[in-house]
Amino acid sequence: MIDTPLIQLVDVTKTYHLESGDFTALDHVSLEIGENEFIAIMGPSGSGKSTMMNQLGILDVPTSGKLYISGRDVAEMSALERTHMRRDAIGYIFQKFYLIPLLTAYENVEYPLILKYKKRDTTGKAAALLGQVGIDKDMSAHRPTQLSGGQQQRVAIARALVNDPKILLCDEPTGNLDSRTGYQIMDILCGLHRDGKTVILVTHDPKIAEYAHRTIRLVDGRIAES
Amino acid sequence: MIKGDIFFNLSVRSVRLNFLRSMLAAIGIVIGVVAIASMGMLGTNMQLEVKEQLSSSANTIVISSDTVRMGPPGFTPSSSTASGVTKSELTKITSVVGSNGTVIPIYSTNSEFTISSVAGRGPIYGIDPDDISKFLSLNKSYGNGTMDLGVNEVLVGSTIAEEFNLRVGSRIKIGSFSSSSRPELRIAGILNPRGTVADGVSTDNGIVVNSKWYTNQYGGENEWTQVNVIVNDVDNISGIESALDAKVNTNAKTPAVRITDATSQLETETSTLGTVTTFIMAIGGISLLVAAVSIFNVMMMSVSERIQEIGILLSIGTEKGEVRRMFIYEAFILGLLGAGIGGISSMIIGYSVVDAMIGTTAYFFQPASILYVPAAMFIGVAVCVISGVYPAWRASNMDPIDALRSE
Repeated sequence: MIDTPLIQLVDVTKTYHLESGDFTALDHVSLEIGENEFIAIMGPSGSGKSTMMNQLGILDVPTSGKLYISGRDVAEMSALERTHMRRDAIGYIFQKFYLIPLLTAYENVEYPLILKYKKRDTTGKAAALLGQVGIDKDMSAHRPTQLSGGQQQRVAIARALVNDPKILLCDEPTGNLDSRTGYQIMDILCGLHRDGKTVILVTHDPKIAEYAHRTIRLVDGRIAES
Repeated sequence: MIKGDIFFNLSVRSVRLNFLRSMLAAIGIVIGVVAIASMGMLGTNMQLEVKEQLSSSANTIVISSDTVRMGPPGFTPSSSTASGVTKSELTKITSVVGSNGTVIPIYSTNSEFTISSVAGRGPIYGIDPDDISKFLSLNKSYGNGTMDLGVNEVLVGSTIAEEFNLRVGSRIKIGSFSSSSRPELRIAGILNPRGTVADGVSTDNGIVVNSKWYTNQYGGENEWTQVNVIVNDVDNISGIESALDAKVNTNAKTPAVRITDATSQLETETSTLGTVTTFIMAIGGISLLVAAVSIFNVMMMSVSERIQEIGILLSIGTEKGEVRRMFIYEAFILGLLGAGIGGISSMIIGYSVVDAMIGTTAYFFQPASILYVPAAMFIGVAVCVISGVYPAWRASNMDPIDALRSE
């Protein structure tokens, strides 16, 4: 029996139609990512890293080629199915944290659970995850603007994990943090990888990329090294 | 439950965050709700008041000649040539009505009168003293009067009594102030107020005299201005009217008399009032349209300011419908705020307006009147929700990648 890769890109191209002409951000990219891999995606600005992350996070669909996640062709899924897959199978960790400003830290973590189960969390899962990433009960009641960058990123990690996704997409997760806090965040991500998560990390920092077991280099929308 | 809904909580917090802006937008709804509810209540209270007053004479058929009898200025009986309901017609009316009602022949004209050298003008009704008590009543607070009028005695309406500070036993001169002969009569009683009536006898500003005195002064004996028929059973009114028409108006092309009752007048008056009320409410509704534009603007601002937040919500798996719901809730909350304040305000303002314009709030809390408050509140909320539909749709259809990039 052949194992189906968790993520599979087959000849994926993404072209943006701009006023100045068409711009190909991903150019015939083929790639397989298995379960429990820790991958770093690197490359210069404009190399297609963000476009790749948008594809992997099914925030966008390829112009041509096929993208499979857990064996399912993303292009053939309805918009609602893609939304549910983003909610259930993928956890996002952004450089700018992107917490919901009107919600407290606890509510930010609880939010994906509410989306999934259509009710408030009564299991204590949100609170437990916040504890695991080092956010205590007092801090949980704070709004994002009342937290430091490191604390916000910890909350964002807890939010990404709360629906127990297989894939963690981390877009420059240490980019807005000081180096000490950045390494603490990376330690958390390594721990999650040890727990079985597939971690895909975009970074400019070679030291951060060293945490990954496999590095993919993108140049001009093509994979230069994998 | 809406209270536990995270999207409702987000909407509440968004309104709180921009409280001043939200309240300013909601003021439009407040004004609209107050305008619609107050005007609606005012119109309904007017209709109910008219209905109540007219219903007191709902059992009365008024038979009048198509030739209107005009009284002379002052009194110069010889100049009166107009005809009215004749004696033979009265005989026919009496025979048709029989024991089913009471027939009251009435003379009437308009005339000047003078009380303590102050002149006034009003209708003069000449009625047989035996008939007066059949449909009029005395106001005893002005003194113990009598309805059994002597030839030189009169009854005056409550408004005249109040304006001229009259009592039973006061004197009144009837006729033009310039006339050399103005007979002086004794006021035998003050009549209870009747308000708007459908039987053609508006005594509040009028004077009731003995029919003998009337014909002596104005002439036209046995040519009554109108004949009122008070039927015993109001359900028989149309049957009696038909019988009267058949008996008296033998020539269908040129009917001798006109036969009317309170129903037709009630329909005319309530229809007119209803039209006026609807028109005024429509003007009030314009303020809701202005409010709708304001709410739309605020909602569009809210969407514009929260583009990145919308991007976050969409990227982590929020359904489009849930994003729409969040913004519709926000519009709903603005509507609820505006409609709530507007509802309470319209109760206070409406009560004051009705009291000032109609003089009574007896009908204010009747369902037909008070219903305008929840109805206007509902319209206010609905206008807000409708105004929020497009901004909500726009928010839910944003591209999450573009929205996340927005600063």
